Amino acid sequence: MACCDAGKKSKPCDAQLDGVHAINVALAGNANVGKSVIFTQLTGVSQTIGNWPGKTVEKKEGYLTFKGYKFNIVDLPGIYSLSTYSLEEIVSRQYIVSDDVDVIINVIDASNLERNLFFTIQLLGLEIPVVLAVNQMDILRKRGMELDLEKLEAALGVPAIPVVAVHGRGVHELLEEVIQMERDGTFQRHKISTDGFLHHDQAEAVVISSGCAEDTTSTTVATVDPRPLKERYISPDRSDLLSYGKEVERRVANLTETISRLIATNGTIALPYPVRFIAEKLLEDDQEIVPVVKAVKEGGAIIEQATVARAELEELHGEDISTIISAEIYTKIHGLVSGVLKIKPLGKQQRKRASLVDALDHLTTHSFWGYVILGLILYGTYTFTFTIGDLLGGWLDGFYKTWSEAVYGLYGDANPVVLILWNGAMGGFIGALGGVLVYVVPFFVMIEILQDSGYLPRAAFMLDRFMHVLGVHGKAIIPMILGFGCNVPACAGCRIMETYREKKIAIALSSLIPCAAVLVVVMGLVGRYLGAGWVAFLFAINFGVVIGVGRLLNKVMPGQCTELIMEMHEYRKPNTAVILKQTWARTKEFVFKSVPIIVAIGVAMEVMLMYRLLDPLNIVLSPVTVAWLGLPLVTGIFLIYGILRKELTLVLLEVLAASMGLTIGDILTPLQMLVFCMVTMLYVPCFTTIIVMAREAGWRYAMKIAGLKIGIALAIAGALHWIAVWVMLL
Amino acid sequence: MECEEKSILLSDVANGKRVKVCKVNAGVEAKRRLANLGLVPGVEICKKQSAPLHGPVEIEVRGSILALGRGIAINIHVVPGRD
Repeated sequence: MACCDAGKKSKPCDAQLDGVHAINVALAGNANVGKSVIFTQLTGVSQTIGNWPGKTVEKKEGYLTFKGYKFNIVDLPGIYSLSTYSLEEIVSRQYIVSDDVDVIINVIDASNLERNLFFTIQLLGLEIPVVLAVNQMDILRKRGMELDLEKLEAALGVPAIPVVAVHGRGVHELLEEVIQMERDGTFQRHKISTDGFLHHDQAEAVVISSGCAEDTTSTTVATVDPRPLKERYISPDRSDLLSYGKEVERRVANLTETISRLIATNGTIALPYPVRFIAEKLLEDDQEIVPVVKAVKEGGAIIEQATVARAELEELHGEDISTIISAEIYTKIHGLVSGVLKIKPLGKQQRKRASLVDALDHLTTHSFWGYVILGLILYGTYTFTFTIGDLLGGWLDGFYKTWSEAVYGLYGDANPVVLILWNGAMGGFIGALGGVLVYVVPFFVMIEILQDSGYLPRAAFMLDRFMHVLGVHGKAIIPMILGFGCNVPACAGCRIMETYREKKIAIALSSLIPCAAVLVVVMGLVGRYLGAGWVAFLFAINFGVVIGVGRLLNKVMPGQCTELIMEMHEYRKPNTAVILKQTWARTKEFVFKSVPIIVAIGVAMEVMLMYRLLDPLNIVLSPVTVAWLGLPLVTGIFLIYGILRKELTLVLLEVLAASMGLTIGDILTPLQMLVFCMVTMLYVPCFTTIIVMAREAGWRYAMKIAGLKIGIALAIAGALHWIAVWVMLL
Repeated sequence: MECEEKSILLSDVANGKRVKVCKVNAGVEAKRRLANLGLVPGVEICKKQSAPLHGPVEIEVRGSILALGRGIAINIHVVPGRD
């Protein structure tokens, strides 16, 4: 019924709706394998981006109806393993085994099989139905390789569907496969096996032919094999694939047995994972699982056994446990891949393409040309943003002015209702669109292009050395570049940093980046009246502050700057649909969450202006604004409004000047302009940014940073004022 | 895998050379991440590029391209592989 109608906010469908079953699908896989593209292809505009409950990990949800079935789809974060190294991994792991998931669509990049299958193998260990979406089959072919999907299916015991996500090929076949699984009853909750290996209880009823691998007919993109799924894919057991070398395997098996025995005598362990998975993770000293097992009666003995086993293995191999286990899985995968992947000599066309992609990579990471290109790209991005923004903003401004005259002509310009509705609400709305959105949207389009094509990680690579000066590694440049558009997504984007410490530093630095709104103020005031030289002067000070704060935080925060470990995926042609949808997803938050607030504030402000309610604040602030900074009394309240939205500082100055029949040049001296802009640039992150900072790093930290910024702004802007006064006295 | 005497550091490998990893010295978490990405002793990798001023190193491992900070690159021991 209405629950799943397009246009409504996505809400998980009830399991049983109109007699139709809703199937819960989770997309899982490495980063940059086309997961988001498939998600976008499937869910279209129904997708919503939120947070996992209580976590600062992004949760993307969407839904669709296909062939009479309803699908709830969740796009899990891109991860490389199911350890507990990052929050993303923990969230994904817990979600995958929860009752909210019927089936995992594991998206893998065919052109990068080994690393992708590393994740697949771990996923299989969770004993949940999996469909493999083998993406980028076209790229694979272009590289002169051929993948034997049937063999892959047989080896892994899961269906594998060839997909070219960017063209939407194979995407709906994934759902057909899922529907088939549903019909076959694959999704019944299977009891977790006690010996640790995969034995779907439904598989018991099926006699599996020995020649399963050979007579699997090819799953072409268009048709789905009519035979029951179990017969096709569930190989007798995957124990061979999922088992380790002799030494590791023996210990995992022993642990599995001990845990099973414990469960048999003690009831259950409150962990949703298969026993064998628990055993493996105990061996790896997993941070989530160890404490739970420890808390169980006699659990301590199991931990002890795992610790001894780990020590023995580490002693034996001279490596730590994660390396040992990863190496064993990779060895297995390497064997598997060489069995399913055929490499043919490259044709002329393919060689040309390969060398082009390589040359592009080489050039953009070159020690000289790399920086030239980086400069050009950033310059191009800002030129594009401001050309489009100025054009649209000017157009909106003109529109507003024309209509204002008409409205005033009709109702008079002193009518309180007109002032509140037109100046307040409509003015706020137009201001939000024309002052910010017109710059933010083109900027995000450019950023998405850079991200999707694979350039941003190269920029991070090139600037890693410099970023270490700030106490973070190169990846932090990605949110910081975003910050030039808007600090809000920049602070949220700091999630890509691996450790909490680096995330916190990156958030502080991102909030110091002059955003589009600040740039509008600086250009409109100092740029217009004092020239580009002084704009550069202000920016130089701002970047100086960024460096200073980075170094300071790096000193005072416990811990050390971690090193860069980052995947740089191959260059590819950006996908228009993905870019537009991603831009929309980012913009949506601003449109639906910030614009109403801005309009409300516009109304409130108009009321307060009308009755001069805030004038006393100017007096309260005067020791700072007038005495220390040498600014006119009235600017105090402007700076307060600036916390709501930075460009209001300029807008209000203009309003004030216009109300007196003057220009800003008449009411502020050049020095006051400089000081005013400096304060606006540095003094506090805007209200929305503070909220995001608090959400990402806690209120205490957000307040600390806001306080630090006010201090810095007052110190620098005050110094500017007093130095100038002193120079003039000389 | 044992590191032979002629092992060198990844940071010192010339661009475009293929080498075999023999030892990774890093913190527990860094090691785990590297291992998950396929960088384990015994794997053959290709050093592609070095960023200037002691910047990070770009390598190819198991078909994917990784950027590794200098602090990690100087702690990965490698021996020459086949060219």
